[in-house]
Amino acid sequence: MVTVNGQQEVNVAGKSVAQFLSDRQAPIENIVVEVNGNIVHHSEFDTTILKTTDKVELISFVGGGR
Amino acid sequence: MIPDHLTIQGMPLATVYTGMKDRNVADSTAKLSAAHVTIAGSGGLGTNIALALTRIGVGHLTLIDFDVVELSNLNRQQFKFSQVGMPKVVAMKQNLQEINPFVTVEAIQERVTRDNVYDLFHSADIIAEAFDNPAAKALLLDTASAVLPETPLVMGTGMAGVHSSNTIKTANPRPNLYIAGDGVSKGTEGLMAPRVMITAGHEANIITQLILGINDL
Repeated sequence: MVTVNGQQEVNVAGKSVAQFLSDRQAPIENIVVEVNGNIVHHSEFDTTILKTTDKVELISFVGGGR
Repeated sequence: MIPDHLTIQGMPLATVYTGMKDRNVADSTAKLSAAHVTIAGSGGLGTNIALALTRIGVGHLTLIDFDVVELSNLNRQQFKFSQVGMPKVVAMKQNLQEINPFVTVEAIQERVTRDNVYDLFHSADIIAEAFDNPAAKALLLDTASAVLPETPLVMGTGMAGVHSSNTIKTANPRPNLYIAGDGVSKGTEGLMAPRVMITAGHEANIITQLILGINDL
């Protein structure tokens, strides 16, 4: 199972990072994705496929105010 | 060193310089005055980070922000009523130089994009992220980790409302990345000086530690 923020998750392996984030309804533009300690850049979301041994960390940001 | 005959407001320059460092921790002056911190955003976080770093004598600051001072900024950002309408970086440069004339401040009125991250930040020893917009925060981390992987990046997220002070922490989720804040409170619930300043203080303190080579998260 793929590990996401320390939790093992089913139905993630085999998906692209883009599909994985879309399934979680995550706000893609506010998130930085790390897989096995390396940042997956936004331009690589479609082509990076998650494997069962992968450890994914989602670094997400919330807004301030103008 | 500073020549004896130079004066500022009637006092020898060297006396003023030394006097202003008198309460800094021992052996910090040389490292702080040699450091260059570039602060992305001159809002609640950025102006308070800049103020702290200016007071302790971080020698070189670059401020980057495209915006102008608005009335709604004044409840938490270090601008004055008289500065409403001015470009934020110009107003803040003025304020910082009034506080510490020995700090070099560069003001850049520009929007940070994927294409200009290297040009804007490559001369910095440390990058302080202080944007309001979460997408801009993610863009800076995403891009800087690719083009400037060796430069420490200090960020902030989650400082809204009037929640406990003690939910605001500094994390070190990966090498060269520090993130301060509570991680969850959103600006839509309102943002006020106290919690914004706590988070800015977290960012400024880890920046100070990085400059002084102290590893005590």
